[in-house]
Amino acid sequence: MRKILAFLMTVAVATVACGGTTTPSDTATATEAPASAGAPSASAEGGGLPEGTLRVLVHQNPPFTEFMETFNDRFEAAHPGVTVDMAVVAPNELATITQTRLAAKDVDVVDMFAFDTGVQSYMKGVTPPIWQTLADAGALMDLTGQPFVDLYDPSAIADAGTYNGKVYEINLGRVGFSGLYINEDLFAANNVAIPTTWSELVTACQTFVAADIPCMTAGGQDVWPIFVTGYGILGSAYPDQAALVEGLWTGTIKWNDDTSVAMWEKLRILATEMIESGATGIAADGAPGRFASGEVATLSGFTWLAPAIEAAQPAFKWTFIAFPGSDNAADNKYVFGKYDQGWTIAADTPNKDASLAYLAEFSDPATYQEFVNAVGAIPTQPDATLDTALGRAIAPSLGDFRIGWERYWIPPTGAGQFAFPYASFFKPFGEFDTAQQAADAAQADLQAGLDASQ
Amino acid sequence: MTYLFGRGAARAWPYGLVLPGLLLYLVFALLPSLATVVYSLTDTNGLTPAPLNFIGLANYQEFLFRGAAAGENLEALMRTVLFCFLVTTIQFVVGLLAALLLNQKLVGTRWFRALFFLPVILGVTIQGLVWRLFLYPLDGPVDSVLELFGVESELLGGSGLGAFLWVTVVQIWSNMGITMVIFLAGLQTIPDELHEAARIDGASRRQSFWNVTWPLLTPAVTTNLILSIIGSLQAWQLFLVLINYRPGTQVLGYVVYAQAFGQTSGSTTSNSFRQGYGAAAAVVLFVVVFIVGVTAQYLLRRREERLLG
Repeated sequence: MRKILAFLMTVAVATVACGGTTTPSDTATATEAPASAGAPSASAEGGGLPEGTLRVLVHQNPPFTEFMETFNDRFEAAHPGVTVDMAVVAPNELATITQTRLAAKDVDVVDMFAFDTGVQSYMKGVTPPIWQTLADAGALMDLTGQPFVDLYDPSAIADAGTYNGKVYEINLGRVGFSGLYINEDLFAANNVAIPTTWSELVTACQTFVAADIPCMTAGGQDVWPIFVTGYGILGSAYPDQAALVEGLWTGTIKWNDDTSVAMWEKLRILATEMIESGATGIAADGAPGRFASGEVATLSGFTWLAPAIEAAQPAFKWTFIAFPGSDNAADNKYVFGKYDQGWTIAADTPNKDASLAYLAEFSDPATYQEFVNAVGAIPTQPDATLDTALGRAIAPSLGDFRIGWERYWIPPTGAGQFAFPYASFFKPFGEFDTAQQAADAAQADLQAGLDASQ
Repeated sequence: MTYLFGRGAARAWPYGLVLPGLLLYLVFALLPSLATVVYSLTDTNGLTPAPLNFIGLANYQEFLFRGAAAGENLEALMRTVLFCFLVTTIQFVVGLLAALLLNQKLVGTRWFRALFFLPVILGVTIQGLVWRLFLYPLDGPVDSVLELFGVESELLGGSGLGAFLWVTVVQIWSNMGITMVIFLAGLQTIPDELHEAARIDGASRRQSFWNVTWPLLTPAVTTNLILSIIGSLQAWQLFLVLINYRPGTQVLGYVVYAQAFGQTSGSTTSNSFRQGYGAAAAVVLFVVVFIVGVTAQYLLRRREERLLG
């Protein structure tokens, strides 16, 4: 009996001895003392934070997640006693996991895409987007008045993070998705000029294909990179994308009117003659590496791919242009994109001070500049610059940056699967052979939803 | 007859012993299923603070009758039935042939049994990842073979029908081990004396199979068909792992998952959660599985009684 008691005492003592409170960090740069369990809450600007685990949820984007790991290490060093537990999920699963973890009260800071696709007055019977549902349900913390909000462009805060007069998200940057990356060496080696019009792009692709060089690659395994590549063509046909969405809803624009059919023909050419065969085997994360190998002439122009291209092959010579979707060069000046990711905080987080400190330190201009350089985002802080190869290439187009149609679009309930302007509907990725087939199917599926919404 | 649990209060023992299992079933199976039916009559989005409103049969009306999306839901239902038919019949035949082969006293049969069963224990994620590599359209193994015949295909990334058929192949590959094992067990319960007697009576191998083996395999046939029918009607995980959402590929199980958890499905983008609508789709799927499963079980039991007496 004595031996048993002695053993239990030993186990108990060992457990107490091994139980962590604060651990001194030899890389600490903060001056605040580690917080103990009984200390009052510290302000988000400094001072000790209560001990605990800060649960952060982010989406997979290798340059971003690598930056975040560095940032988290610095945050932990500055706040001994706080452990950052960051979960990384696939982008198309972020909304699902956000919803489940918020419902389970199992997350503090959430990386959330911008507050767009709001329900417009002309949209009938649609389901509101998830961010709106979360805000209405009181699941997100009101960040109005937090000092770090003032570090961002007021327009970015208003357009991408405000709802019903309250700030719920600080948006971290814009991205473009309607450009084209150019393999400069391959163009030069084949005496092909960088295209400024649609016809020049078609001719360039024909030249490359004739030389057995793939003209264009995209991370088609996830499907969306194929149809998002076509958004430059859509933008050239319909430069005012908010008006496009309203026109589709009100019937003044149809997916099978003359302008749209011409657009569909270009999307068909994109799918059948430009994007390389086998692109559906390339993951979205793998496309930059494929392009940086130098074997392909162009790559879908998603601006967030630039850091990955540079990391894959620093010596690789490339540039970025707005997608030449029109034969009128003046129509090709726009880069369409969206407000991308931002930070939100769970309304009922038990780690409020740590969460606010996390956002405050991330928003520090020096840290934010590092983030911009790491991920290639178009900044939403006024003093930050995109001082990278992408930034220099895209600078001439920044004045013509426009929000893309899919950030306005909510399809009518009951619409069919083809009610979208997707190049992936064409063979070899889909079913359609001709532009008219796709145009008629798109309008029929859209009209079915509009009729059902009356 | 001796009653093993005694008399008096001791007769309550069997009920007590069954109770934990019954509670587990109630809590983790029956009650959630009933809750799904209740949620299907609401506009719930799964967020606890959000209000939940009773909307009657609106979700069912939308799922079955509203616009082009309803047509696509019915297409998904037909595709589910087609998937069930293809998987059940092909898996049945392949599993039976494998079992007949492996029931021979040949060298290496134990190793081949393990090999055939290996896909079953890999799990859906590994199965899908292995086949994605196998079906890689840029000089992957299958692509390389097809190129020898001058065939170009995006394989999983190509036409919806093509992608659907590839998922069917993977489903069969991943589950035929179970079919084989059940048939093998059934074959090994058939006494050798019956085959010997048939041989002595002059029966050929084919006659011996149809008149001796096949009737006595009836319980294994019933088990395999029921498992395969119900399993394939509910299957959706391989669709998610292999192809995610592609037009013309959805089965009803995937529609349930996509609608309830904010994934792309038809015209629904990954921007909203409609768990009430997803629950309605799940109830429709349950009704289909129930009708088909009960009908199949009734017909197969009658066949058993007829063949075995």
